[in-house]
Amino acid sequence: MEMEDLKSNWQNATIVEKSESELQKMTRIKNHPTLKRIRTKLIIETISFLLFLVVYYDWFDGYKKPFYANAFLVVSLLFFIANDVVGYFSIEKRIEGSNLKTSLEKYLSKIRLLSTLSLMCTFLYSISILVFFTSVIHFTREKSFIFAGISIIFIQLMFWSQRIWTRWIKKLEQQVSDFKPDEI
Amino acid sequence: MEAEFLKIIHDHQKIIFKICRIYRDSKEDQEDLFQEIVYQLWKSFPSFKGESKISSWVYRISLNTAIAIYRKAKIEINYFEEFPKKFHPSTENEDTENADRLFEVLRKLNDGDKALISLYLEDFSYQEMAEIIGISESNVGVKLNRIKSKLKIILN
Repeated sequence: MEMEDLKSNWQNATIVEKSESELQKMTRIKNHPTLKRIRTKLIIETISFLLFLVVYYDWFDGYKKPFYANAFLVVSLLFFIANDVVGYFSIEKRIEGSNLKTSLEKYLSKIRLLSTLSLMCTFLYSISILVFFTSVIHFTREKSFIFAGISIIFIQLMFWSQRIWTRWIKKLEQQVSDFKPDEI
Repeated sequence: MEAEFLKIIHDHQKIIFKICRIYRDSKEDQEDLFQEIVYQLWKSFPSFKGESKISSWVYRISLNTAIAIYRKAKIEINYFEEFPKKFHPSTENEDTENADRLFEVLRKLNDGDKALISLYLEDFSYQEMAEIIGISESNVGVKLNRIKSKLKIILN
């Protein structure tokens, strides 16, 4: 099999042609396979957090908790929402740069930054929840066990999240290194 | 602007289709990638100034999208035992079969090699390949020789 045969097969490959109206649908987020799902998750998460911010003070006796616990919870939740929004728009626009190598390098830097920010926001949010609900309680042996259990769950969630980010980053690093100059 | 964009993509959809076939195994994944590429092309279209050939731009964005997108790890199936299936010089009846085998062979390469070989098979010059990928022309040559050797091993 010669390269010319490969070229010929490549160039003559037949396709199932899509019409312009089918292509037009693909330019809309509502028809996008992954972004639509991410956007829906983002909207639900943001609305839930905002609702929580509106009602938590009455429902979870915010007025009985110290100011620092309330402030920490509100700030960490707002950071979490902001991180979600920034993350969505960063992932939505994948192409930056005039060539493939530069674009991948920029995307890798962006994903590294998002990974760090995401971990920090999840960590802050988890701590703030724990601080809020434990700020006025007297720890007993039983309560300490519950506290430890919840902390372990939060750590586990952060670990899983970080593992996904790490896998993605490693894959992008590999792809960037694929374009590094070969030894002659 | 949308009408112009749709005409361009309609005329160049074969490029997107081929990129999808070498970067994804299943029909469903290929279809998802096709949509993702069209979406990214649409987002990038306002910044396309026509300084490069349209096909170069379509290739660059398509390859970039296919490579950068996050995919969950899948169990890898080793097709090597099924090779070598011999290619035949194309006759009308065997065109589709040969194309299927070609894509199957190209899927064995790493993502970077897939990008370069697809540009080579499309008949881009070394200079154009260097510009799209972002490496020097001499490096395009070195990499292509290495990829061709890999392909010969797979095919024979």
